[in-house]
Amino acid sequence: MSILADIFSATILFMIPLLLVALGGMFSERSGVVNIALEGIMIIGALCSCLFLRALDDSGFGPAHPQTAMFLAIVVAALTGAVFALLLAFASVNLKADQTIGGTALNMFAPAFAIVLTWAIQGQGQTTILIPTWSRITQETLGVAVKQNFWQAFLFKSFYQTTIWAVFLFVIAAVVLYKTRFGLRLRSCGEHPQAADSVGVNVYRMRYAGVFISGMLGGIGGLAYTLAAGSAFQSTVAGYGFLALAVMIFGNWKPLNILGASLFFALFKILSSYSGSIPFLPKFENIKASEYIYLMLPYIVTMIVLILTSKKSRAPKAEGIPYDKGRR
Amino acid sequence: MRQTKRRSIHIPGGTSILASLISIGIGLVFGLILLVILNTKAAGGAFVSLVTTGFRSSDKFAKVLYQAAPLIMTGLSVGFAFKTGLFNIGATGQYTVGAAFALIGAIQFQLPWYVCVLLSLIGGAFWGVFPGLFKALFNVNEVITSIMFNWIAMFAVNLTINNLPMMLAKYWGGAQMDRTANLAQANPSALIPRLGLDTLMHSNYMNISIFIAVIFALIAWVILSKTTFGYELKACGYNRNASLYAGINAKRNIVFSMVIAGAFAGVGGGLYFLAGTGQYTLLKQLLAAGFNGIPVALLATSNPIGTIFSAFFVSYIQVGGDAMQPDFVKEIIDIIISVIIYLAAFALLTRELLSRSKMHREEEAESVASADAPAEKEEVSQS
Amino acid sequence: MNDYVIEMLNITKEFPGIRANDDITLRLRRGEIHALLGENGAGKSTLMSVLFGLYQPEKGVIKKDGKIVRIKDPNDANALNIGMVHQHFKLVEVFTVLENIILGVEPQKMGFLEKKEARKRVVELSERYGLKIDPDAVIENISVGMQQRVEILKMLYRDNDILIFDEPTAVLTPQEIDELMHIMRSFAAEGKSILFITHKLNEIMAVADRCTVLRKGKCIGTVDVKDTDKTKLSRMMVGRDVEFVVSKDDARPEDTVLDVQNLTVPSKLHKNNAVKNVSFQVRAGEIVCLAGIEGNGQTEFVYALTGLERPSAGEITLKGEPIVRIAARREKQKASSLPKARTTLMPIRQRSKLGMSHIPEDRQKFGLVLDYTLEENLVLQRYWEPAFQKNGFIKKPAVRQYAEKLIKQYDIRSGQGPVTSARSMSGGNQQKAIVAREIDKNPDLLVAVQPTRGLDVGAIEYIHKQLVAARDNGKAVFLVSLELDEVMNVSDRILVMYEGEIVGEFDPKVTTVEELGLYMAGAKRQSAERTVH
Repeated sequence: MSILADIFSATILFMIPLLLVALGGMFSERSGVVNIALEGIMIIGALCSCLFLRALDDSGFGPAHPQTAMFLAIVVAALTGAVFALLLAFASVNLKADQTIGGTALNMFAPAFAIVLTWAIQGQGQTTILIPTWSRITQETLGVAVKQNFWQAFLFKSFYQTTIWAVFLFVIAAVVLYKTRFGLRLRSCGEHPQAADSVGVNVYRMRYAGVFISGMLGGIGGLAYTLAAGSAFQSTVAGYGFLALAVMIFGNWKPLNILGASLFFALFKILSSYSGSIPFLPKFENIKASEYIYLMLPYIVTMIVLILTSKKSRAPKAEGIPYDKGRR
Repeated sequence: MRQTKRRSIHIPGGTSILASLISIGIGLVFGLILLVILNTKAAGGAFVSLVTTGFRSSDKFAKVLYQAAPLIMTGLSVGFAFKTGLFNIGATGQYTVGAAFALIGAIQFQLPWYVCVLLSLIGGAFWGVFPGLFKALFNVNEVITSIMFNWIAMFAVNLTINNLPMMLAKYWGGAQMDRTANLAQANPSALIPRLGLDTLMHSNYMNISIFIAVIFALIAWVILSKTTFGYELKACGYNRNASLYAGINAKRNIVFSMVIAGAFAGVGGGLYFLAGTGQYTLLKQLLAAGFNGIPVALLATSNPIGTIFSAFFVSYIQVGGDAMQPDFVKEIIDIIISVIIYLAAFALLTRELLSRSKMHREEEAESVASADAPAEKEEVSQS
Repeated sequence: MNDYVIEMLNITKEFPGIRANDDITLRLRRGEIHALLGENGAGKSTLMSVLFGLYQPEKGVIKKDGKIVRIKDPNDANALNIGMVHQHFKLVEVFTVLENIILGVEPQKMGFLEKKEARKRVVELSERYGLKIDPDAVIENISVGMQQRVEILKMLYRDNDILIFDEPTAVLTPQEIDELMHIMRSFAAEGKSILFITHKLNEIMAVADRCTVLRKGKCIGTVDVKDTDKTKLSRMMVGRDVEFVVSKDDARPEDTVLDVQNLTVPSKLHKNNAVKNVSFQVRAGEIVCLAGIEGNGQTEFVYALTGLERPSAGEITLKGEPIVRIAARREKQKASSLPKARTTLMPIRQRSKLGMSHIPEDRQKFGLVLDYTLEENLVLQRYWEPAFQKNGFIKKPAVRQYAEKLIKQYDIRSGQGPVTSARSMSGGNQQKAIVAREIDKNPDLLVAVQPTRGLDVGAIEYIHKQLVAARDNGKAVFLVSLELDEVMNVSDRILVMYEGEIVGEFDPKVTTVEELGLYMAGAKRQSAERTVH
């Protein structure tokens, strides 16, 4: 039972960054901007929030008010991710540059900048930023005592505030996209900007908003990934930004489908780490380092799903095309 | 139409070189400012070593050439696909598979170096099949396929190498568990020949791989500018509608283009690991070398000959960046390069707009009779 | 109270090198349906774009209710209660009808959409005006007719009372057109004013109160519809002296080169067929022209003929070889073993090899690779021939020599000769390059689609001469044109296409432009069994 609890809890933990970042990508692409820079945005968000956590740890505020500090760190991740994403918005909206190339530049910039800044702040050779241990939510945090059982293991093995926020943000994202005036206008800009413009919707502003939101969610996702991946930030998010992009496509640019896709992907990813201890999975005993088979699996399965669903897959029609107000 | 517009990054000679040089200039100034901010005292010296180290001594120059060879290959890979209107972000995976094919040939099968280079070519080409085929048959975006296959490549290679006992350093008496055998021990005949260049340049890094890479650049140039095949590829990239009109089979060309792009990246992996100076490490991370092909190709505006120079430049400042340590971390170079790409993204655009508006003026001046002109103007600007 | 709700006074709008609107005055009365008639390129759309804020005029003013107003963009137009149904609908395909109607003026509470309220109003409006819609249907799943009703409801929802309809009937079925006419009348009856852009005379006679006619950017006049008739209107629209004449001998038609039988092509814009059951022949040594007003199926027909699109039924034979043969579905099931019933779709390259040349309608979209040099573009259709390549290597000197020959022969002017980038060439010379390439291929059938569009007089004359020369060389020439002068001057036989059907066949020596105009506008049609030469 405890293995099951471990698997579920780890799945949720790794699902959160995928979910958040893919939702971020969804906002950007729904507004018409292809956001290949998610990887870089995650790194910047994680970098700044982790540095912020360290600072709070040093100042003593963090250990004293751990969850308040954690909340502030999430805000920092969101804001820095968003500000960084504005570089993409500027390039693709104002300057009408190639969105893929602009995003590639940001992806290259972010990890290098993270290393440079980490060095500059922590001193030479210090390439990791340790995450304070108080960041996790434990039974003590909540002041409850739960018996050692499935639920205890499932809930408190690795429970962070980011998980709670992710649930909130998912609901908010879905509601904003489908139920609000803003969501309607945003989607119209990704599908038919000329139509949106002809009824007085400011396409430029909407695209900025889409990219900005993707930066916020991407930044928080970066922090969530770092919390999931271990005890320290190491100037990388290991390709999760790109995976989130695939999850977004796999989820057909729709919140609920993205939720399913991120769960699916995270589950396959976690299965690989637990492949040895799950009885019914084949063990490939004749093969050395068979964990790689399981590591490959989520990517192969995603690929197969993408091919099978390619007929139904429907990207926002105007994504990737700079909108020029002068040409109608 | 949209594809063509987004991906056509062809620029006539003069302006493109100028645009690249301006981007490089601004990027370097940005780097200098960053150095000053980080450590004002050491900044000046560091910047000087950044821009001069590569030429300072023959062994440093050898290092520049050594690193430039795989960069040329991955740059060619990305650039070749660009010419057909495809973004090959999968050069990393193709590079990895190419490296694995070469090393398996070298160590497991004890083949000579030239066969191993050929194997790396086959390996990379094999990995290029997938994004091309999926795009042509199922219309799955090549960027996503490439990203997925980067990871699949890395895991598949690690799995394979683990299961070929001779491959690991341990088999040959090495201490480390996590990397392939030292080629000098396992099969010296698989090492890329040095032809005495190493003694001439006083560097272990020096071998003939730079010449091999330059030959491949020439081959790419010949394919693109001398053959009917290259003519078709570029037509597809520049204007897919016109290529359709001319009866060119676009789907077939997409697959071929990605296969060739993959082959280039694969040879890059082969050249790097057959040099014998680096061993393939079984990490769970993608190799950066493939991604570096993107800035190289962008700086060269996908021109194969230009790729030689842009790869040299990137390699040069990387060697310079190494020399800035320990005062500064070498990743500052990546920041400079990313700034250059960001600027290059606009440079392409400005050029396109300039020539577009120029054409409009001429066009409109010419049209007298037909009042269709305004309507046509709209069409033109959207195409 | 001012009689006129909108006055556009002395509007002049210039584009570089061309005056699209030259001192045009148009006054719209309250509650009238005012038609704006003119040929393609007469300046109708430009004038309406000025009114809707898409263009700023160089001269002239616009008055609303007697007061001068400035309309800088569509938002200003909306604020003045001016609404427009664009020829190409501005609807978000994946949105519902309701969402499209409210976009931009959404009722909301704290940012949340209040769709219930909006729906009530939309349903109310749709019932009041008989505009049948399903508010929850998604745009891409509904008919073009319903899409247009959505566009009309967009205007009504915004309380617009000056309604511009830009060629609203182009994509509708006859029943839908009747319905639209009825709706327009009911709008006028309750005091809304309508501007109705069209070139279909029947519709003007049926629905309009007054009609303003534009020709070549100039205002020819405004007439009361009840005081005029179709012939008069047609003369106002096209009536002009032939501007220049192409000297040519009589055609001496020989064997049939192109044979089209019962060709049907589905439309991408709407659910009807764009080309309906079209049959005709073109023989060697004659120029057959397909005339008609834009959007009547000519483009789709050419795409099917040249291989860019797949027809849904029919057969095309070139020099006796089938290049298109769509097996009827019944036949396929009954006798699938027989090779005759099989569908043939010859690839574009094969058609080209067989002897088809194609001067495409859109030279920059299809005809040229703009980033290629002139010489590279000149071999676009034949780079694979042994003359220009050996073992896959392009013979550069041969290409250069060939390019220089064509440049000289066809007088293609460019900055750097063969190595000029096609992008940097002027439109006329780009077109000349295409014409040179396609004619010099020595085809048996030359398909030329609007070959002179947007060119100056000299270039037009030159291209016409080339077409005639090709004919005199024994080629079959199939010309598609919107310009009546060109149709009358160049062709030996005229087919008029209206709504995807060939409605008449004429001899240019005995017919008149007025006559053609009536057929092109759908006012007349020959009986189904028209005379065959």
